[in-house]
Amino acid sequence: MTDLTDKNKRATFVPGQPDMWAFVLFETLVFTAYFGFYLFYRAKSPELFLHGQAQLDLRIGVFNTLVLLLSSWSVARCVQSARVGAFRAALRDVYITAACAAIFLFFKVFEWARLVRNGNGIDSSDFFTYYFFLTGIHFVHLLIGFVVLGVVVYQLRSAARRSQELVETCATYWHTVDFLWVLIFALLYVVR
Amino acid sequence: MADIGENVAEGSRSPRNSPRRIDGELILLWTLPAAVIIWASAFFLFPGFMPPMSPTMSADQVAAFYRDAAALPEIRYSMIVFNWFGVCLVPILTLIVMQIRRMAHRTPIFSYAMLGCVAGGPALFLVANVCWLLAAFRPERSPELTQLLNDFAWITFTILVPFLIAQSVILAVAIYFDDQPRPIFSRWVAHFNLLVAAALTPAAFVGLSLSGPLAWDGVLSFWVKNVAIGVWVVVMGVVLGQAVYRERAEIQRRGAELDGA
Amino acid sequence: MSTVVTPPESGSNAEATPPSGPTHRRIAWHLRHGPKRELWLAWSTLVVFYNLFFPMVFVVAQVQPPPAPAWDLATQVHYFHERHLGIPIGLGFIFAITGMTAVNNALIAYSMRRMSISRAFGYSYLLIYSLSALPGLLLLCIALIVATLRPERDPKVLGWLYDFAFLSFDGTMGVFLIGSLIWMVAILIDKNRVFPKWFGYLNLCNALTEVVVAPCWIFGRGVLAWNGQIAWWLDMVVFGVYQVTFIVMLFQMIRREDFGTGPMPDLPRKRATAS
Repeated sequence: MTDLTDKNKRATFVPGQPDMWAFVLFETLVFTAYFGFYLFYRAKSPELFLHGQAQLDLRIGVFNTLVLLLSSWSVARCVQSARVGAFRAALRDVYITAACAAIFLFFKVFEWARLVRNGNGIDSSDFFTYYFFLTGIHFVHLLIGFVVLGVVVYQLRSAARRSQELVETCATYWHTVDFLWVLIFALLYVVR
Repeated sequence: MADIGENVAEGSRSPRNSPRRIDGELILLWTLPAAVIIWASAFFLFPGFMPPMSPTMSADQVAAFYRDAAALPEIRYSMIVFNWFGVCLVPILTLIVMQIRRMAHRTPIFSYAMLGCVAGGPALFLVANVCWLLAAFRPERSPELTQLLNDFAWITFTILVPFLIAQSVILAVAIYFDDQPRPIFSRWVAHFNLLVAAALTPAAFVGLSLSGPLAWDGVLSFWVKNVAIGVWVVVMGVVLGQAVYRERAEIQRRGAELDGA
Repeated sequence: MSTVVTPPESGSNAEATPPSGPTHRRIAWHLRHGPKRELWLAWSTLVVFYNLFFPMVFVVAQVQPPPAPAWDLATQVHYFHERHLGIPIGLGFIFAITGMTAVNNALIAYSMRRMSISRAFGYSYLLIYSLSALPGLLLLCIALIVATLRPERDPKVLGWLYDFAFLSFDGTMGVFLIGSLIWMVAILIDKNRVFPKWFGYLNLCNALTEVVVAPCWIFGRGVLAWNGQIAWWLDMVVFGVYQVTFIVMLFQMIRREDFGTGPMPDLPRKRATAS
């Protein structure tokens, strides 16, 4: 009994499991370390990095960022719909999120293939090492995001489940994936 | 009537299947004498074991060892036999795991730990075995490479003790913690296992020198280690056999009582 | 009558009778009759193992932090010469104690057995991690010992052993990746609250370090090489946090263990007297 009231108390502080927020914090710290290394080595050889950045297509970067922001919006709508009990709408929103993610993945792979074909592989220069590493590890987080979205779908589909806490937890993860991408986009594509 | 403690222990641990399915364990058990004979034969067939090759042999001498037309078939066949039957220890170790499971423990942690050790020794032995076979495969190879393979084989063969040490210690502690009127294994088996574990430990330091007691042909790393393993296999084989037969007799007795009642 | 064979429901009875008095008496009682003695023994083995492992590898053998893949052969030969005693002694100790990892894995497998999930999780974890010791630790230690065995060996051969050893240490990824994921899934779907969910997510962080280190097989220099600041140093920080955390989590689990099959009780808010 006591832990149920505890849970309700906790629920007012953060949406979803507080555990997920701990994970988000940890991953953000780790990514901050990655960004730190990137900036440090960029400062040491700015021309090399600038030259590498010039090879990137800003349009695809912007497009991908918008797609991912859209997916964040749709997953937030999903949480709202689930909260008021509109589960069909919530499910539709999850599918939209997944579709956006799939579009992102497709264009990412397309972008990578194009870069590699132009001779800019992961070991072609220090900049591209960071580029492929950062976008690669983000890509892995996005793939995990599909599993997370799967959990949301699984929860929403059957009336026996539909744990609001779990849906919010998964949404938190998704927002983190989007947030990390915005940082990566800013660092790799924009800041020159 | 069988020990009440034993009954309760078994009942509380495996409520689903009592008695434990034991068909075929005798077959597994009796593979051990056959395996021991095979291992011993292969051991004496390999020209490098009796007496053990010296680490101080130069690369040319090592190459000559593998190029010796008379010895080469013995090297290959003995190692092929070892490759076939090296893993035969695993079913015996698993039977020991099953017996640990019968001990009066609060948790299955000892049997889990034992299970985690079971593949370690045979797997490392297979690595050494493959290296010897590789060295014998192209004797015309450069002597330095043959010596490298030979070094790898010998070091691996000597240093394969980590999981053997662990399984002896785990078994000993499991026996010490087996608090019942008639323990599965007697206390002396535990002391014996600790002794074996201690005997195997010096072999871990085989890399220290090319001569002396710790070298791979030395007293501690070769003779003490291999004799300890041999004695362990024989003693545990007998003790395990006794435990298995005793368990079967009890199961039959209990089954007869149930029928009678 | 035998305290060890108490059925699960009356587990608390056995815990109620540790004698008061001098500490060594109480410890002796716990060692001989405490129902959780097996678990505490396993946990202590875990702590002892790591307290031996890190000094032996980092201080005695000095093979971690790793040297650079970019060093030329002469430097690599010198590296082995410097360690011609440290490696056989330090790694010798490692060989003597590696079997303790079986006990570590058994304790973790036991934690999964206590969960509301299938036994397959615990067994899978046990098998995968038992397997991991071979390519991930033992074979590379053998390579290092073989390298220091003969100082006059051809430098090119030493170079091969050098690569083999240091790539294996960082680059044996799959066993730890999949093993961590198994524990993660077990924790996340467990209804018995054996571990908090954030610890499940931490397992994901540990699994991801195995993804991050993958480029060590590609790069001969830089932040992603086997000694790189991201692939080794940063990964080691995450791994270190994970190690310390799971040692503490297992400690808490043993304290809370009630040998039941339902949800695990939380520790009482006040200081608990029973272990």
